[in-house]
Amino acid sequence: MMRLKTKNAIKDTVVSIIAIAIGLIIIFPIIYCVCGAFKTESEFLTPNLLPGSFSYTKNFSDALRKGDLLRYIGNSFIVAFFGTLIRMVLSILAAYAFAYFDFRFKNVLFFLILGTMMIPGDVLLATNYLTISKLHMLNTYFACMVVSFVSASQMFMLRQRFMSVPRDMREAAQIDGYGDLSYLITILIPICRPVITTLFVHSFINLWNAYLWPLIVTASKPAMRTIMVGITKLNSWEDENYQLVLAGVCISLIPSMILFIIMRRNMRKGGMEGSLVG
Amino acid sequence: MKKLLFVICVVLVSAAMLFASGAPEQKKEETKVALGSAPVTITFWHCASDDAGVLMDKYIKEFNETNKYQITVNAIYQGQYSDATTLMKTILSAENYSELPDIMQLDATGKVAFFDSGKAFTIDDAEAYFGQSIRGDYLEGALGNWEYSGSQLGLPFATSTTVTYYNKDLLAKAGWDHCPDTFADIIKLSADMKAAGISAAAYGTVPNSPTLANWIGQLGSYIVNYKNGSEASATKLECIDNGALKTFLTEWKAMYDAGALVNQSLSTNQFIAGEVAVFTNSSANVSNILSKVNGAFEVGAGTYLRVNDSASYGATVSGSCLVMFDSGDSLKKAATWEFIKYMTGEGVQVDFAIGTGYTPAYKSASDNAAYKEFLAATPQFAVAADQLAKTPASMRSITIGPSVDFYYAIQNEVSDMLSKNLAVDDVVKSMGDNLQALLDNYHRTNP
Repeated sequence: MMRLKTKNAIKDTVVSIIAIAIGLIIIFPIIYCVCGAFKTESEFLTPNLLPGSFSYTKNFSDALRKGDLLRYIGNSFIVAFFGTLIRMVLSILAAYAFAYFDFRFKNVLFFLILGTMMIPGDVLLATNYLTISKLHMLNTYFACMVVSFVSASQMFMLRQRFMSVPRDMREAAQIDGYGDLSYLITILIPICRPVITTLFVHSFINLWNAYLWPLIVTASKPAMRTIMVGITKLNSWEDENYQLVLAGVCISLIPSMILFIIMRRNMRKGGMEGSLVG
Repeated sequence: MKKLLFVICVVLVSAAMLFASGAPEQKKEETKVALGSAPVTITFWHCASDDAGVLMDKYIKEFNETNKYQITVNAIYQGQYSDATTLMKTILSAENYSELPDIMQLDATGKVAFFDSGKAFTIDDAEAYFGQSIRGDYLEGALGNWEYSGSQLGLPFATSTTVTYYNKDLLAKAGWDHCPDTFADIIKLSADMKAAGISAAAYGTVPNSPTLANWIGQLGSYIVNYKNGSEASATKLECIDNGALKTFLTEWKAMYDAGALVNQSLSTNQFIAGEVAVFTNSSANVSNILSKVNGAFEVGAGTYLRVNDSASYGATVSGSCLVMFDSGDSLKKAATWEFIKYMTGEGVQVDFAIGTGYTPAYKSASDNAAYKEFLAATPQFAVAADQLAKTPASMRSITIGPSVDFYYAIQNEVSDMLSKNLAVDDVVKSMGDNLQALLDNYHRTNP
């Protein structure tokens, strides 16, 4: 009995050490980024991880001023928030249809949608740009987010989650007078909230970090640019200002971090439920 | 099943018709309007960020306020050079020409796309259109970098070359009072540093396509045909059969075998931190290096390291140029022509050189009193101009389709030769095969 206990204790310790090590590896770039953002130019040349003082905030004020980051944060927020919102609505509706409705060519359409996941985004750059320009939507927020409205992977994940909810529940709801939309809104979405929350955060971060597409569709209107474009303004080929870039990155992390903190409980639950769904 | 196919076909054809229904662009008759007769706004795309961006804003403001032709320049930052090139290519692919700017800052990565755009208003075109010849006002080497297939694509704006920086204090401790000149000098310097108990590395870098083009150019060769792709799209390697690559690799390996070379691309920050004695980098980096070293040690600058005693001096010109697009509007063209002359003229070139470290490509800038005074105070800035004068006019930077793949393939091959102790002949063969395959593959996919 004692031997088994010792064995388990050793196993737990080893697993914990490995988990901590992996956690540190994952979090280290963020620690490096935060520490670097507080360093002076000369401190950045030393191999020390920690800055001389965490009260040196000149990099942050310079980054905000030189990169016009406040303006761009506003743009990024509009693009990321509304883009994600519309993407979630469309994904939920499509997932619901594929999970519950039977219609002709359902499987063909489903695999066609899944097939789009295999097309690299860069390949679509020119064609998407052509479409947006023909529709006279260049230099608008709509242009920045429209290509992200449909996400095959999110639709697929939601469909899998919806299918794991017993069909009896829908039938019971129908008996109680619920239509499809009211069942979806009042019953299914609350049940699947953890997965939806996780996808929302993931999607928000994706759109927040978008660089090339917003740059291209706002070519004539720099006021519409997003924060990632602002960060490139902080560094130049002639003068490497990594501490300034790191300060810019720290600023850009704030909204995603806030969102993550607000939604982390639901996300954790989502991860656990996903594992059960398999 | 037939019905399904029919429906799919109808949908596809309808969609194709929807997107292809735009009427073909009609070529408008261009009527010449005198500059100054009406206000005109032109769009300028640039890639100047950080301090260079501040200077750029200053020039635009100055031009908008002082020009007597009612010209307003709308300057837009378009990210890094590669991003601006991607944007240009996307617009060209979409044939959405109204989104193109009137003038654009471009580096070597965008040369071919600009030339092939069908909308380029080259310097040859402009000189013929306006009946002016201005090419003689610019340094030949700097102009040559922006020539492609016999056309002068644009005018040099930010001109730089690669030079050698050295830590004078470290070298003095090793008994050196001058900049190393050849790879053999680096070997000797390393031995002297070790003898003096200095632990810093003598030199460290991994060659890539631009730096290899410099060293192969010093040996009188090009990496690829058509003068490193400056006259037409390169199709084959040119440094194998003439032995230039073998000579370079032999000298490079000798440095490593002697313990004088670190097989890593050491950064500017490592040089500034005193971890390496000799450092090769863009001449445009001089302001940055001097300000960051901030007197911690004395920074010396010399001409680019030569492969051996028989190699020529110099390195290829790099940086960026300004190119013009044909808007089909004579007033805009004339305004753009005025603006490009202003931006590449003596005043802006001298100020930009003092502010950044780039070399003015406008000939009379070297006689400018402010610039002369500046060079006297900071002689490190003068090395680039001296080197440009020494560099053979035939030397060209490399312009190829698979530029990114080439860059990393060269780095990996040369680095592996040192780390795996491979024979030079084997590496020459391997590089010959692999780099040629990249070119062939590019031409197969881009006929």
